[in-house]
Amino acid sequence: MAEEFNTDGMLDMYLFENGQLLEQLQEMVLDQKDADSFDEDSINEIFRTMHTIKGSSGIMMFDEITAIAHKLEDVFYYLRESRPSNVPHLELVDHVLEVADFISNEMDKIRNGDPADGESGEIVATLDEFLEQIKKGEKGGKRRGEEIPENKHEEPKQFYIAPVSTSASHFFKIYVSFYADTEMANVHAYKVVYALKEIAEDLLYDPEDIISDPECAETILKDGFKILLQAQCSEEQVREIVKVGYDIEKVDVFECKAEEFLQGFDFGGQDTPAAQIIDLESSVEEIDARMQAAESAAQEEEKKPEKPAIAPGDFVIKSKEPGKQKKLAKDKPKAEKTSFISVSVGKMDQLMELIGELVISESVVLQNPDLKVPGLNLDNFNKAAAQLAKISTDLQNVIMSMRMVPLANTFQKMNRIVFDVSRKLGKDIDFVMVGEQTEVDKNIIEHISDPLMHIVRNSVDHGIESKKERRDSGKSERGKVTLSAKTEAGKVWISVEDDGGGLDREKIIAKARKQGLLDDLKPDSAYTDKEVFQFITLPGFSTNEVVTEYSGRGVGMDVVVQNIQAIGGTLEIESKKGLGSIMSLKIPLTLAIIDGIVMEVGSSSFVMETGAIKEFVRVTEDMMIHEPNGEEYIMIRGECFPVLRLGKWYGLKDYAESIEDGVMLILEVEEKKICLFVDRLVGEQEIVVKPIPSYVKKVKGLSGCTQLGDGSIALILDAAGIIE
Amino acid sequence: MEETSALMKQVEENQAVSDEHDTQKGKYMTFKSGNEYFGLEIQYVNEIIQLQPITAIPETEDYIKGLINLRGKVIPVVDVRLRFKQEPFEYNDRTCIIVINVKGMMVGLIIEKIAEVVEIKEDNILPPPSIGRADKAHHKYVYGIGKVGDSVKLLLDPDKLLNDEDLSVVEQANEMNNVEE
Repeated sequence: MAEEFNTDGMLDMYLFENGQLLEQLQEMVLDQKDADSFDEDSINEIFRTMHTIKGSSGIMMFDEITAIAHKLEDVFYYLRESRPSNVPHLELVDHVLEVADFISNEMDKIRNGDPADGESGEIVATLDEFLEQIKKGEKGGKRRGEEIPENKHEEPKQFYIAPVSTSASHFFKIYVSFYADTEMANVHAYKVVYALKEIAEDLLYDPEDIISDPECAETILKDGFKILLQAQCSEEQVREIVKVGYDIEKVDVFECKAEEFLQGFDFGGQDTPAAQIIDLESSVEEIDARMQAAESAAQEEEKKPEKPAIAPGDFVIKSKEPGKQKKLAKDKPKAEKTSFISVSVGKMDQLMELIGELVISESVVLQNPDLKVPGLNLDNFNKAAAQLAKISTDLQNVIMSMRMVPLANTFQKMNRIVFDVSRKLGKDIDFVMVGEQTEVDKNIIEHISDPLMHIVRNSVDHGIESKKERRDSGKSERGKVTLSAKTEAGKVWISVEDDGGGLDREKIIAKARKQGLLDDLKPDSAYTDKEVFQFITLPGFSTNEVVTEYSGRGVGMDVVVQNIQAIGGTLEIESKKGLGSIMSLKIPLTLAIIDGIVMEVGSSSFVMETGAIKEFVRVTEDMMIHEPNGEEYIMIRGECFPVLRLGKWYGLKDYAESIEDGVMLILEVEEKKICLFVDRLVGEQEIVVKPIPSYVKKVKGLSGCTQLGDGSIALILDAAGIIE
Repeated sequence: MEETSALMKQVEENQAVSDEHDTQKGKYMTFKSGNEYFGLEIQYVNEIIQLQPITAIPETEDYIKGLINLRGKVIPVVDVRLRFKQEPFEYNDRTCIIVINVKGMMVGLIIEKIAEVVEIKEDNILPPPSIGRADKAHHKYVYGIGKVGDSVKLLLDPDKLLNDEDLSVVEQANEMNNVEE
């Protein structure tokens, strides 16, 4: 940590790192909220997290954060050391989340440039109380705390009996002495160990701490380096691996018996059980993983031998302790994480913009009118152009994939909301996440987080009934909310499903009648479920009689729908009374670059997203149906579509009048179809979406603009807007 | 055209000399529209470009001629004559677009003919006479009258020019759109 804090953006780094830590913390806590207690890994992890936050906040002089982190660290220190058995788990979860919230809040303030003025006193006091309570509860019980350290010492022995040992295994004692002038003998010793790992079934060495403790270099020089090796190979092979070289003065290899091996080191007077081993009870894959980790550790070791690296590889030679079995699984992803860097979103956006420019200028070059001069030999140019086009497409794909972020974080937040709300309302709810690895453009994730939160909250608050109601209607008391995501046809579908009471059609209709939203002449039955359910997305519409802390004021669903529409998404509501409801968001994967069809009307160019166009048809006059009021319809293959002439609609000049001179586009949005009449199609192209400058007022049916290959600007048609 | 490029240079020089407000103060970019000469404070002027192909936007005010592509940036252009509710004019090779930047918003102004950059001292600027003038439309965007020698320049408030009272409805609509976006 300390190193990173020397950088310029100390505060940024502080906020970023601690933000991540808190996120991980929450995730972990929520993961185990239903268990009886935290497992040891989590306790350690929370302890470490709090320790880190305490440390960095101390440096940054955010005293309140430091104080609260310190207190929680205390609690977990006690949990870790004393392992009380009677911790009220949910209460503990609450406390941890409370602390996490407090710190996040403070960090938000800091981020906005406000002073972090939150008072930690109250939370610290409750934590104190809580700690006292556990301590007291533990008193009458057995004092396990003191036994634990002993346990730790005894445990490793069981790993000495290596399960893969076969009759073919040989046991060796190896003494390696280094030249007295060898610098950093511990690193050289590690090299030997590392080489032996290739063949080792089991390996012990002394001194044990060769990586983390540079001091032992002296010991190695003085007393030599001792290795116990179990392997399926001959003495010669071992000698082949460990041989006298520029650093090693002498190598002695003695074959010994298994019993001797199991006794461990009888030399040196070291505390035998504490010696390091490589355990072999793990699967081959794990060993492989460790080998790799060891390799990286070794490389790191060689790269900066002046600094003893501890971090990524040290578990390789650490003896196992009870309760640490999961250590490897946990550490592996961490090792992977080092290959990530975090880049500011601003830079990404800039890159994205530049690539957008590149795509445009590429088409400017490749479609340059100068190339159309007859008689030019363009073979080489075309070859080069094809190569350029390929690279720029690849580049685009890469940047797009860089911007793609899994929904997992957003979903995790929902988990938290379900937990909070359900606890406050006294409902038991299982929260299931499906497909949280689905990737979505970062910009879109930012936009869906709030709407989604609202929908989830609604599901928990209104959707799932109270325990009693559930019992009465013969459902299990535990409600279920499923949040799922999938990609389909270039769109992301996110749905929130609950098995609660569902929407009450009659109630909604009654309310709608009261508000005068329904046509008085039409009977209730004339409205489809879909239409009825859409009412709940109108402003000020709530059928909930009681306003709760979370919802029921009738604001919200309209905002949700607005937010979703702003990014070109839609909301669908399905519901069965008594069985539950499903709210599905359908949102585009990305906003920035889309495939579009370029078309012309008169002298204007328009672009339409390829996905919205079902087909192109050339039609004849006899397929048209003209209404006296000027509306037009067309029959295509027995289906009747309304016709919209783009030129007439927008009042353009010089557009094709005759239906036979132009092309019909059948557009489909949410099962509504319409025919759009344009003069001609130009082609398909990848288009970079740019907003229409805000100075120009919003025009219905236009969602943006883009630059075409010749540098001119085309307007992007929004199919949903046109159909409206 | 030479005239234009010379002036462009002049503008650039003015900006290059110093970005500080002070050196630009009192300098006005003047142009001709109809029979009058207008002046715009030079700090608002980004650049002057030749007339470019304009993409019309349907269903907008008539004086918003459309969008132009300024080196990859899409900016709206306004016909100043139409904005002043004067008769439209034929675009020719003297027609220029002054790109102005008002509160971070880039807009192009289509004007008939570019004139020169002049310095007008503050005591030579008079408030627009408010009585006895029939053509009140001017007063909304004209905040002062600058005297340069014998001639008179109408000084424009670009903010009002773009977002005048009669535009406020549109502006609100735009703001709403922005929030949505």
